[in-house]
Amino acid sequence: MNDIQRQWDDFHSYVERRDVIFYYVGYFSQTIIAAMADAVKLRVEHAGAVAQTRRKLFSSFIEMAQNIVHYSADSYEKEGNSEASMRHGAVFISLTDGRYYLHCANPVNADVAEKLREKLEHLRSLTIEEIKLEYKETLRAETPADSKGAGLGFLTMARDASAPLEFELSPATDNGMSMFYLRATI
Amino acid sequence: MDNLFIAASPSSPEVDFRFDERRLSLKGESYPENAAQFWGDIIVALRRFLAEDGDTAPVAVNVALAYFNSSSTKMLFSLFGALNDKAKSGTEVVLNWYHDEDDDTIFEFGQELREDFPDLVFNDHAVKSL
Repeated sequence: MNDIQRQWDDFHSYVERRDVIFYYVGYFSQTIIAAMADAVKLRVEHAGAVAQTRRKLFSSFIEMAQNIVHYSADSYEKEGNSEASMRHGAVFISLTDGRYYLHCANPVNADVAEKLREKLEHLRSLTIEEIKLEYKETLRAETPADSKGAGLGFLTMARDASAPLEFELSPATDNGMSMFYLRATI
Repeated sequence: MDNLFIAASPSSPEVDFRFDERRLSLKGESYPENAAQFWGDIIVALRRFLAEDGDTAPVAVNVALAYFNSSSTKMLFSLFGALNDKAKSGTEVVLNWYHDEDDDTIFEFGQELREDFPDLVFNDHAVKSL
């Protein structure tokens, strides 16, 4: 076996062992998200997910990807490019024993980290009925000033998930950055 | 006033507001980068039409959105709010709400609209999946 093939085999066997069906790491922009959205649709259809599961996966995928564009602390600005919001992060989808898991990770600054922790700890304390109720209330409320997603993004993910959203924040580095990890079970 | 047409993009729906025919249609998926701006501009045009409109003939609104993200959801709520105000003032506004027959999320959002905007004539249309 030559080297190139061995590298691929190592990589693929790792991906398979971890049940990964989709993975992306790099910069996120609206164009990249739209292209990935297409790929994710095809991929989960190919994986055999039923229509309702496909829709929930797609919805949570978009919310996560757009969160990265909005909240990741690591941005890339191309010279002379009007598309200023290229933000760094990672997403992956895994399929284990018939369950789909959506994961995302991106660096956040201390302010954002604190808000995410509050928001997610609160959501994790709610039952699915309470989540639906809060969704309805938020839909009818004024948009919070610090939110680009109208405050509905995490509620939408929590509503569509079959288990409470899981998250971790790494200890802050010297410059105040943490890594934010989120996992949704569909 | 001029009709409003915006062609669909990979992440935004086709908007076909034929004000002269009193027929407003939305079709496709909505997760634009900045939903507040995308829908904000549309709502401004809609409100202008509704304010300037002297005719009392019915207005038909056909919505066939297969997916909308959380920030679009919020904006759609204000769009239907504007239409409900028009209906309250005496013009019949018919909302035809199309969704895939097994899409509970979009069906349920339609039910939220029906609840909050009782002045709209709400017709739910479950479309058979392909």
